[in-house]
Amino acid sequence: MKCFTSCFYKKYTYTLSRRYVSTSKNVEPLSEIVAYQNNLFDNEQKKQKEAVGRIEKMIIKYHGVPENVTLSMNKGISTPYDCAKHISEMLVKRTGLALVDNTHLWDMHRPLESDCEITFMHAQHLPDPYHFNRAYWRSCSLILGAVISKAFKNDIQPTLHSFPSPNVKSGSFVYDVELSNLPEWTPTENELRILSANMVKLAQTSYRFDRLAVSEELALDIFQDNKFKKEQVPNIAQQSIDKKVILYRIGDHIDISKGPMIGNTDLLGRCTITAVHRLDTKYGHLYRFQGVSLPKGIMLNHFAYSLLEQRAKKLNAARLPDQVNNDMFVPRFSSEDSIA
Amino acid sequence: MNQAEVSQLISKLRIRISPRHKNLKCPEGPQGRLNKLRKTVNALFKYERLELNYTIADETRGYAERLISEAIRHGDTHKPTMEMADYWIEEKQLIHKLFKVLVPRFSDYKTSYTMLYRAPKAYPDIVYPRSVLELRGNPFPSILPQRIDQRNFIHNILLEEAKKAYRAEKYEQITKSLNEQDVVDK
Repeated sequence: MKCFTSCFYKKYTYTLSRRYVSTSKNVEPLSEIVAYQNNLFDNEQKKQKEAVGRIEKMIIKYHGVPENVTLSMNKGISTPYDCAKHISEMLVKRTGLALVDNTHLWDMHRPLESDCEITFMHAQHLPDPYHFNRAYWRSCSLILGAVISKAFKNDIQPTLHSFPSPNVKSGSFVYDVELSNLPEWTPTENELRILSANMVKLAQTSYRFDRLAVSEELALDIFQDNKFKKEQVPNIAQQSIDKKVILYRIGDHIDISKGPMIGNTDLLGRCTITAVHRLDTKYGHLYRFQGVSLPKGIMLNHFAYSLLEQRAKKLNAARLPDQVNNDMFVPRFSSEDSIA
Repeated sequence: MNQAEVSQLISKLRIRISPRHKNLKCPEGPQGRLNKLRKTVNALFKYERLELNYTIADETRGYAERLISEAIRHGDTHKPTMEMADYWIEEKQLIHKLFKVLVPRFSDYKTSYTMLYRAPKAYPDIVYPRSVLELRGNPFPSILPQRIDQRNFIHNILLEEAKKAYRAEKYEQITKSLNEQDVVDK
């Protein structure tokens, strides 16, 4: 009996020690530039929050399941996400995108500015989840960028270029990246699998998409080490009506996009990085990372999904990074993204 | 040859009637059976949707269909029809409902006037098969879930485009092989 207890005890301590073992290996300290970027982002966010000043109320109307609601929220502070939290947990979990006054697509974490009527969109939105799908595809590209920027060893420095405007019909979402010290690289199956796993892992950490409109100078400061983004920023700022650049942040990864994005990374369900193609552009060799994914709540048979994966392996025909004059050039900014 | 087709002259119910009746548990004999069916026919006209054991629902359905079709054919001035309605409908105000509400509702119908659904059983219990019997056009929400259009869901769009791409590829292969054949033939 004694022996048994001691054995048991031994085992128990072993599991304990495993359980409370330091995870410091997994938590890498932020690199200097990432910390600097996030610091700038935080400060600007704080500044914009303080600039709201005196709190005023606005009336938000919601019409739909589970019930019709009229909410009194804080102007310039409350977001669609806050409204959803007041209405139902189901809305909080499934909603990816909000529609304001049936015209403007609104990020879940972007403060509302005036009295309005709000609709919440999700992957099975009726009659047509087109706008959610687009936002989802765009968000997938951004998450892919975040994965790529962390996945490689220190001696290979990925420099993110951009991703083309999301097109679900093309069969894959895309990110174009330059990998220094890797002129000729064809990823093995396992490497792709690791990238996919990283992407799922990142998504399941459930980071929210923070949206911030910043001035050109600040954007340049944030992207000072990225030669491509530095080049794009003035162009983007010039094309936008209020001369602002819209940034998104998930976790500590910051990227430029017109948006709108989905609210949280945990809406990403099944996901595969299917292929990496080498492109020869005027910027040198870029790699086009491609993947396919389905939002949470969309179930698909594994065979059907494998067909999607096979399709996503072929080179995505979207705009190449040096085709600037194409209509689909990504940093096309209007003041509001509307569905009209 | 100028004879009219017989099937056009005789009214025909729009549901399938099985040649043999279904047995109901009736200690009171045939009269008890009729009483039972009268009760359910009456309740069907009153509530428009009932949950019943399958056997009695199926039997009731035939009588209700017959009653409505007679009412539509002959109207409320026809004596035998009125007598039949009087026999089968115990609450007399429902006779008015039959002629004034249900006849106008169903006169244009090309389908049956009632619907019979099989209802689920509670699994571990051994129970008689249940079913739901209803008059069509009732005001309740539909029993079957409404089919939603899923064509625009992201997976269906992706699959549709994958199909198109696959077909385009195949057509290209076929034309290529045809061209090669032409070259060989020449």
